Amino acid sequence: MEKKIGLFLGCVIPTEQYGYEMSIREIMKEFDVELVDVPNISCCGGPFKSINIFMQIYLSARNIAIFEKKGLDIYAPCPQCHLSLSETKKRMKDSPSLAKRVRSRLEEEEGLLYNGDVRIYHTIDLFHDAIGLDVMKEKVKHPLPWNIACHYGCQTIRYSGADRPDAAEHPLKMEEIIRVLGGSTRDYSEKLNCCGGPLITTHKDAAYTTAGEKLKAVNDRGFDALSIVCPYGGRMMDSKQEKAGEVMGEKLHIPVFYLTQLIGLSLGMSPGRLGLDLNLSPVEELLIRDHFLQTP
Amino acid sequence: MSDSGITDLFNMSTPEKEGLEDLIRKLDLLGIEGPNLCFQCSKCTSGCESMKLLELQPHAVMASAKDGFIEEIMNSDLIWACIGCYKCKERCPQEMSPVELMFIIKNRYVAIGKPVPGDYQTMLQNMISKGFIQDPRDVVDRNNRNNDRNSLRLPEIRGPEDKKHFSEVLSRIAVEEL
Repeated sequence: MEKKIGLFLGCVIPTEQYGYEMSIREIMKEFDVELVDVPNISCCGGPFKSINIFMQIYLSARNIAIFEKKGLDIYAPCPQCHLSLSETKKRMKDSPSLAKRVRSRLEEEEGLLYNGDVRIYHTIDLFHDAIGLDVMKEKVKHPLPWNIACHYGCQTIRYSGADRPDAAEHPLKMEEIIRVLGGSTRDYSEKLNCCGGPLITTHKDAAYTTAGEKLKAVNDRGFDALSIVCPYGGRMMDSKQEKAGEVMGEKLHIPVFYLTQLIGLSLGMSPGRLGLDLNLSPVEELLIRDHFLQTP
Repeated sequence: MSDSGITDLFNMSTPEKEGLEDLIRKLDLLGIEGPNLCFQCSKCTSGCESMKLLELQPHAVMASAKDGFIEEIMNSDLIWACIGCYKCKERCPQEMSPVELMFIIKNRYVAIGKPVPGDYQTMLQNMISKGFIQDPRDVVDRNNRNNDRNSLRLPEIRGPEDKKHFSEVLSRIAVEEL
């Protein structure tokens, strides 16, 4: 892969899920990948599909055009952004009438030229396919001694027609990464369940119950921790884990890590650099028990 | 079909031919099959993330759409319960897409000026004025310390370079229909 890649964080990661962003910025240095912060980018449009699909397509095409102008491929660690961008790229290719209209609107409104000639990576395929498991394996200094459940997030894997980073019904790339980091993992029947994140806009209690049920399943199946790659998952299952427990009347106690934080830990980086102080789920016990963190 | 002459006796609504044609045209523009091929296998509903808690039944939405009851679907709160997980689209044996059919009907609800539910209005205002759906928030860590991008040594988020122009452009785009 190119050693220089444009970072597209979207809205939720750089405004509240700082642990995902910090760990991404830290670990990329170890893999000699230069992340470029591109000016002028905006929301991908993904959250507004219910409001106006044309606007969503315009916003995604706009952002793709900005990266194209810089000659950079895109790394979009948020699955909703990744889907919105990849889907728009595909729709613009498949529907000449849509492409013609969006191109001309982009040019007359903002002087932007869209070709759709960029690659769009998510965390899963960037590490599994582009950087590669062999390269990761060589760098592991502190193997993870935990049994970790993987949560992909809905839009990371669906839908198949929109160039997703892993298979829709039986994704395995995150599990393969976890094993390379020294961790163990296994399948569980709630793996493809949603965290409820997008429902927070309109149905708050249902959203928290959905998150709580997923966490309870992970807990009941005896996993040590949960690995995620989506900022909505982070919001619902880490930041709001206590709230999710309250809503469904359960005491939830699951350490939740971003996959990028787990990669950093296995590389021997300090938890502070990886933003792990910001995880509100009970990660500290594991980190102290297994010597990733000194007792305070 | 829409000329079937059916009346829904619960609310006396009747099918709408133009609404169905408009829906099919918009789906086609996105490369998606219209609702006519639905044979009610209910694979969409069996996997639906919003079925358990909110009783959203995508196959029932498809049946209503197929019969032309677009306005009836539009006026149902249930379509706002869709989580957007795309399991229905992934699993439909007829390659249809209840999730996107509902997006298009919700777009029409917004376009005719009905009140947008939940936090959408705030998100939309933020996006149009600043480029993102929310401002950077202060977050508390496990030791109850307050953190922001600056204290975490994260670079400033810049967003659209000319915010005034971006805001004018998006205000125009926001009212353009597919």
